[in-house]
Amino acid sequence: MSTTIDVPESSNTKGKTILLGNPARPGGWKKGIAIMDFILRLGAVAAALGAAATMGMSDQTLPFFTQFFQFEASYDSFTTFQFFVISMALVAGYLVLSLPFSIVAIIRPHATGPRLFLIILDTVFLTLATSSGASAAAIVYLAHNGNQDTNWLAICNQFGDFCAQTSGAVVSSFVTVVILVVLIVMSALALGRH
Amino acid sequence: MEKATFVELSEQKISNQNGKMKRGVAVIDFILRLIAIVATLASAIAMGTTDETLPFFTQFVRFRAKYDDLPALRLFVVASAIASGYLILSLPFSILHIIRSSAGMTRVILIILDTVMLASLTAGSSAAASIVYLAHKGNTKANWFAFCQQYNSFCERISGSMIGSFIAIPLFIILIILSALVLSRR
Repeated sequence: MSTTIDVPESSNTKGKTILLGNPARPGGWKKGIAIMDFILRLGAVAAALGAAATMGMSDQTLPFFTQFFQFEASYDSFTTFQFFVISMALVAGYLVLSLPFSIVAIIRPHATGPRLFLIILDTVFLTLATSSGASAAAIVYLAHNGNQDTNWLAICNQFGDFCAQTSGAVVSSFVTVVILVVLIVMSALALGRH
Repeated sequence: MEKATFVELSEQKISNQNGKMKRGVAVIDFILRLIAIVATLASAIAMGTTDETLPFFTQFVRFRAKYDDLPALRLFVVASAIASGYLILSLPFSILHIIRSSAGMTRVILIILDTVMLASLTAGSSAAASIVYLAHKGNTKANWFAFCQQYNSFCERISGSMIGSFIAIPLFIILIILSALVLSRR
């Protein structure tokens, strides 16, 4: 005697639909991370723009002058500060242009494309922002403290306002760097946990 | 039934290709880490062993230059040393990824630590680079003298040690991008 297994014909074959592509699963914590990403990106735009603008408008002319020249300090006098202004403007521009990708990541929390794109470009611009911020910080440190061994005078004693403006710009750029690091970490976590 | 086995076989083939790609990426990751270790160690040692004494001296002052005299160069030595130490410690994780291609959480940890190290190494080397630039060119407006004109060998040493870190930084970026690519392909 043979055992047979009866497989009943399902009567509703025509009505079945096969889901192709990503079904709309609930976003969960990935959507939360994407929303945080968007908000932090807005903050980073503000910080980067503030840094570039503050450094770009730093200018101080001392009220006394000699017969031959006037004592003036502006960001133009230091090549490092020129590099700082240009690269922080670039970072701010990139962050603004990456906002649409962040919005796409909110709408589709499980898509890896936008997140991967954002993490790669975030890394590159993190390097740019860090390098410009750190090199400007080295010059600002020199301006505050001088260096006895190389006989470099601390110009902050004379150009107080200029010093304050450049220091503020450097601090703002470091805020941008920290936000970018947090953005990369969040994107990595969202990519790595399915 | 045949359709089911066909689908199973093609899924197996895709996961095999995925596995091979992950192994290849893990091998590249390991090799790049080795190169970055050499680069950062060389930078730290080259900067850390600078010492030049000029052959003339006055009654009160002896002209001597060490990396210690400039805080930015000190920061560079410390950051390079920390980066090379981290890279050496992350080699076992890299080997683990070659052996077992499916480790997920360790890759995330590695990306996070790589990013932090990238930021600190970039900061240290950019600060040192701006000081080296000042040493070469000086700044007339701030009346900062370019001391490269006197301390020739010290200047060459500190300029040369920048090269190692400027090799290591793109390597870090590539490492992060590779890890992110592998993570997104699961």
